[in-house]
Amino acid sequence: MNYFQIWLAGARYSLVRTMMFRGDFFIWSLVELFWMSVNLLLIAVIYAHTSSVAGWNAYEMTLLVGTGMLVQRLLMGFFWSNLFEMGRNIRSGAFDFFLAQPGHPLFMASTRKLDPDGLLNSVLALAVVIYAAHHLGLHPTAGSILMYGGLILAGLAIHYSILVLTMSLTFWLSSAQGIEGSYFTLADFGRLPREALRGIARVAFVWVVPMVVVSNGPARTLLHGFQPKWTLWLLAAAALWVFAAITTFNAGLRRYASASS
Amino acid sequence: MQAARKYGQAFLVGLQSNIIYRWNFAVRSFFSLFQLAIVFILWGAVFAGSPQVGGFTFGQTLTYFIVLLALQFFIGAFNEDYQISEEIRNGLINQFLLKPINYYLYRLSIFASARVVSGGIVLVPLLCLLPFARHTLSLPHEGWRFALAVPAAGLAAMIQFTIAYCFGLLTFWFLEIQGFVILSMAVEAVLGGQMFPLDLLPKGFFTVAQFTPFYYQMYFPAAILTGRIDHGLALRGLAIQVGWVGVLLLGAYGFWRRGLRRHTAVGG
Repeated sequence: MNYFQIWLAGARYSLVRTMMFRGDFFIWSLVELFWMSVNLLLIAVIYAHTSSVAGWNAYEMTLLVGTGMLVQRLLMGFFWSNLFEMGRNIRSGAFDFFLAQPGHPLFMASTRKLDPDGLLNSVLALAVVIYAAHHLGLHPTAGSILMYGGLILAGLAIHYSILVLTMSLTFWLSSAQGIEGSYFTLADFGRLPREALRGIARVAFVWVVPMVVVSNGPARTLLHGFQPKWTLWLLAAAALWVFAAITTFNAGLRRYASASS
Repeated sequence: MQAARKYGQAFLVGLQSNIIYRWNFAVRSFFSLFQLAIVFILWGAVFAGSPQVGGFTFGQTLTYFIVLLALQFFIGAFNEDYQISEEIRNGLINQFLLKPINYYLYRLSIFASARVVSGGIVLVPLLCLLPFARHTLSLPHEGWRFALAVPAAGLAAMIQFTIAYCFGLLTFWFLEIQGFVILSMAVEAVLGGQMFPLDLLPKGFFTVAQFTPFYYQMYFPAAILTGRIDHGLALRGLAIQVGWVGVLLLGAYGFWRRGLRRHTAVGG
């Protein structure tokens, strides 16, 4: 059985489960919608007091934040609850379940479930991007749109890797409770335009932990067309972070001592 | 006196168990500095175009967010709702039904001990930050602000904890409460002033916000301390805050009574 078939089986199970717990699906869709609205409200409040932030107008900022939300909602849809539970499973010893499955434990633990609410909200995040692009009078070429999609996937790989790294800390810490909040803190950097960062902050969040690039790269591609520097860095950073996440997870796995860990 | 000893013991046990999780709090407080960095960068860019936004300077706004961060670790509810939910779901709550102990006061003691640990830990990064930020910070010097901020922060802690307690008790009715909790967090982030100072909202919205409990969770004590509200508003706010604590305590009592009627205890 190859990995795609395993993933497909998990996706089918998740959809059936969602149909069984429709109330839950509704609540979680609402949760994500609320959080997206909170981010848009922040933009509305800021731009009620100023016309430009680091050279970005309100709609450009909406496009940037919408792009950041799109990456995050995709992460929520495909990976969040799996990785959130991974921390707790490592602590309780229930992670044994994934070690006995026919695939790499990280793949099995990350892809067991899909969250249709996150995927639904990624459509809404995309709608925010389209809305902002419409107000900015943008007419991106098919190439730009394809490039935008590719960069979103690279950004998703970076977010996934950072979350895996964060949750892998559970192999060393006594509890994972609250640790996942660290990921959200880092993800919030995606709301910032690159021009707003200076000095060490620019080095740290544009080049080292590329959360700013994850949203700025695709947004700039839509706003200004193909950006070779941003594209190359985003792709290279995605490869580096995936490597770091897998290496750390494997190192943590060697420490795992079942229920007593 | 006996009750004080009883809950004092619960506080000490809570202190010990929370010290075990000191590294979690340390990681969380470390990442809170990143939150401050975002605030500094974003609001720095907003203020780059104008010296004042909503009648406040950049220094005042940054001070507001730093005070808010400190308050979160000293009075904020972290995962109390989740812990209560787990105790109900796993049947651990049964032991409290058989003992002469008030579950609310027991959980409140544990909450207080957890905040002592998290508050102590967040002081470390904040003190490290102080030499770099001291020229930007802008705290008012009126003595009444500190005198009113202490009860306001205490009542805010009660509001935070009681809301978390009520959400935890929802487990009597629902298998999974996390959706409700995170939904409430989104509302609290906005109406509690964690995303932006509430006084930046249009006047009508700001007035409405003042009558919600969320306003008194974080924004209110932070606004007293950082000079965003005057003496009259602070006194009126304290009265409303006391009212909200009363309403929430009644709500919590009602939830507990009705929830217990649905509860089935198996084993001990």
